[in-house]
Amino acid sequence: MEFKNSKIPEGINVSNEHPLKNFVYLLLGVTGVIIIVLLVLFYAIGFVAKWVPFETEVKWAESISVSFERSSDSTQNGLFDALGLPNTDNNSDEHDEQYTLRVEKITVYLQDLADKLAVAQGLPEPIKITVHYIDQPVVNAFATIGGHVFIYQGLIDAVDSENGLAMVMAHEIAHVKHRHPIVALSRGLGLGVILSLVTGIGGDSLSSNLAGHVNLLTSLAFSRGQETESDIEAYNTLLEYYGHGLGSTELFSELIKTSQESSLPELLNSHPLSQKRIERLEKMGESTVIDCSSATFNCTLTLLPEFAQSLKE
Amino acid sequence: MYDLIILFVLLFLGYVFGQMAEKRHFRSIIKREDEYQSILTFAKRFPLNNDGDQRAELVGGNVVISVDYFKRFVATLRNLIGGRITTYESLLERARREALLRMKAEAHKKGLNTIVNVKLETASITKGNKNQVGAVEVYAYGTGLLSNHS
Repeated sequence: MEFKNSKIPEGINVSNEHPLKNFVYLLLGVTGVIIIVLLVLFYAIGFVAKWVPFETEVKWAESISVSFERSSDSTQNGLFDALGLPNTDNNSDEHDEQYTLRVEKITVYLQDLADKLAVAQGLPEPIKITVHYIDQPVVNAFATIGGHVFIYQGLIDAVDSENGLAMVMAHEIAHVKHRHPIVALSRGLGLGVILSLVTGIGGDSLSSNLAGHVNLLTSLAFSRGQETESDIEAYNTLLEYYGHGLGSTELFSELIKTSQESSLPELLNSHPLSQKRIERLEKMGESTVIDCSSATFNCTLTLLPEFAQSLKE
Repeated sequence: MYDLIILFVLLFLGYVFGQMAEKRHFRSIIKREDEYQSILTFAKRFPLNNDGDQRAELVGGNVVISVDYFKRFVATLRNLIGGRITTYESLLERARREALLRMKAEAHKKGLNTIVNVKLETASITKGNKNQVGAVEVYAYGTGLLSNHS
């Protein structure tokens, strides 16, 4: 019997397909499926989270602030500590007392304004707004779960009248009214869970990379659509409360003037561009014609109380 | 953002060098298979025409080949949806053929012309270690004979 080693034919065990083609198909397919799943989840959560009872939301907010308090072992308000705000204990007693009084006064004023605006906006029954005043020069205000609205001193300084402040306040109240904070939180959690699942299945290299980037995108708290929705609601609230929409663009104008606007294109921003917001508000002003000469309307801007001005100036 | 850049740089390096190494390796394998064509290998335990073997010795060849970043990334994607991991198939094909060649080389060095009872063992070197690019080991061994068949 004769034996010989015959040549092994190539291409049986090794696929002739180009590895890059394979790679591109896989990458597009997998990311496509993940994106579709995330999108479906994103909208499903947005749809469902609105039905979380407000009482439940308040409880969640409390549990979050309690865990903050524990971690920062302080008797102060946990949320404030978590935000890394300065302690005012260093001042002398007399100064301290004055300061505390001032903060209290401003907080009461802001809370009062918020309550009136909430009525004007027709905030549904169980939802309550709790205003927190933060004495920091940052031009910022935000709403978070449990109906907590945070207003910075810097914002009060940035607007010229109470109307401007009320616009921002009403905007934040509108976020709470439309349940944006709870939707954003639920979305963040839901997408986080899905991504960590993918991480678990897919191993390390790919998904931990992707997960970080999607987290970044979802952390742009509210969508621009939600911001626009809140702007419109806030403007209508101003109409209801003051009888006119004057002063609604104060903050946006100030942001443009001091060029605090981020230079990123709108797509990458959490908020619509200030210029566009002003344009929209002005358009709304045109559509709701107000006769300032008539007796029913008082078209003057309401002034901010003096104590609310920043002490530094 | 930097993570993504690093990821794509790693993928690019993995692809370029991995493909280069693979192509070169396959060329070398095909060439050496021709060289050792005279050494007959059998999976059977005993030689077919056992008419006077002069010598019998254990021969073996061992190879460890690393996965490159690109292959591993593609395999990770493949894990999600299933199917042929073609990037690993070519890797293992290289490892098997290289191990057999090294076994033949040893036989050739020892002056043997036949190997019977050829077996292959495969092991994953970095099994269970996360964040580590894996490597595969293939060991081919058999009984080398100096046969009178030719």
